[in-house]
Amino acid sequence: MYDKTVRRRRAVLALLVVLSLILLTAYFGEAPGGRLHSVQRGFLTVVSPIQDGANKALKPVRDLVGWFGDTLHAKSQRNQLVKQVDKLRREVIAEEAEKHAYRELLGLYHLDNRLSVSDYHPVTATVVAKSPNIWYSTVTIDKGEAAGVRVNDPVINGEGLVGKVAQVASIGAQVSLITDSSVGVSARIGTSNATGIVQPKVGDPNDLLLQYLPANTQANRGEYVVTSGTVSSPDDSLYPPGIPIGEVTSVNEESAYRSVNVHPLANLHNLDVVQVLTAARGSLPANLSRVAASLPPGQSAGASTAGEQLAATGSGG
Amino acid sequence: MTTGISAPLLGRIAALAVVVVLFQIGVVSEVPVFGVVVDLSPLLVAFVGLLCGSMVGAVTGFAVGLLVDLALLQTLGVTSLTFTIVGYWSGRLRELRDPQAALTPLLVGAAGSAAAMIGYSLVEFLLGVDAPVSLELLRQIVLGVVVNTIVALPTWAIVRRSLVGGLPDDPRRRRRRAYTTGGLSPLSRS
Repeated sequence: MYDKTVRRRRAVLALLVVLSLILLTAYFGEAPGGRLHSVQRGFLTVVSPIQDGANKALKPVRDLVGWFGDTLHAKSQRNQLVKQVDKLRREVIAEEAEKHAYRELLGLYHLDNRLSVSDYHPVTATVVAKSPNIWYSTVTIDKGEAAGVRVNDPVINGEGLVGKVAQVASIGAQVSLITDSSVGVSARIGTSNATGIVQPKVGDPNDLLLQYLPANTQANRGEYVVTSGTVSSPDDSLYPPGIPIGEVTSVNEESAYRSVNVHPLANLHNLDVVQVLTAARGSLPANLSRVAASLPPGQSAGASTAGEQLAATGSGG
Repeated sequence: MTTGISAPLLGRIAALAVVVVLFQIGVVSEVPVFGVVVDLSPLLVAFVGLLCGSMVGAVTGFAVGLLVDLALLQTLGVTSLTFTIVGYWSGRLRELRDPQAALTPLLVGAAGSAAAMIGYSLVEFLLGVDAPVSLELLRQIVLGVVVNTIVALPTWAIVRRSLVGGLPDDPRRRRRRAYTTGGLSPLSRS
């Protein structure tokens, strides 16, 4: 009985294995149009409607299971997209910063061409620090003695005069802005020959005052105030003539001298790239500056003829 | 051991095989888990073998394999061959060892799935199917065995519940019988 059962079991197994191998061999060996392939296609034709029906009937189940999978997939996708957005945002910020710097450099380039400041050996520097108080009267730049920057060198940007170098280190310098009380710039209004001194307005550090103008000076609101190219004191630097400083906002009628309120053209709250006019030793502006500094104090005031002569010489006549 | 296979039981097995294959093709195949698809058919074959014995297991394996090959337009005979061996092997395990541990279906499901997947791959390679033997294939097999093992216990519960009424020699009944026909119950032994 046991032997019979064992024999039958083994026979069934052998039969099924052999049948499988025959099927396999026959199917593998025949052409796609063969009988077994036809049987398979026929079976598919019969089963297809059942499969289709089962598919439709089980669609809600599939959708439910798929919903969980899709949710998990969507979550991972969302995390990926958040990372991608962060990356793109950083790229956009970097691009905007580059564009901003490019615009500033372009402005400087145009100003250089307009004013012919190439004789002053302009050194382009980046503002690396701003004074944290509300006055914004000093900024720190990333170029110093190593780049030829010296104390009192004028500093400009694409909009106009920014200030002058106050202190110099080897690889950096501190710039006093024109709104700083220590800065005084010889300036004139438009095409007028009358010169005065631009200084910060007392009580309003964001505004400037052009003082010591002759009483008969004609000044109108909206006129531009530019550097005159003269020095106002022996310690001052020689600013190239014609650099825009600001715009006349109002005229003050005073007794002996006339003064006008000037709003700076340069946006001193948003400085990124500036140029330091280093005026290398031996150059014409440097020599003129040295001559001006050696003049007696009485002759170097804003209205001095010596300063005006220097201005005329410095600007090339 | 495996005598007394009734026609109702064969009917139940056939119905279960058709339902499982259709469910596999219509639903389960379209829901990947960890990048692979759960394959219920080797689990069904292994569990039928474990419940009904080697002969029924082998025949079920052959039939389910043929059904799968026909429905999926695969090379006829490949799945039949591997499933026949899986069904026979799990049936022999029951006949020789009759394991009663709760984790037996889990281990049998994992081993059956692994044998089916590896066997299928081997036969395909022997037939010269142009597929690269790569780590990706190994990963697919390992992941497939893992997800099949995860669903092994619920599948076992369903297969057992579907067939339990027609089984000739239900293990639970046999245990109960042993306690009531002269055998010592665990309580009386202590």
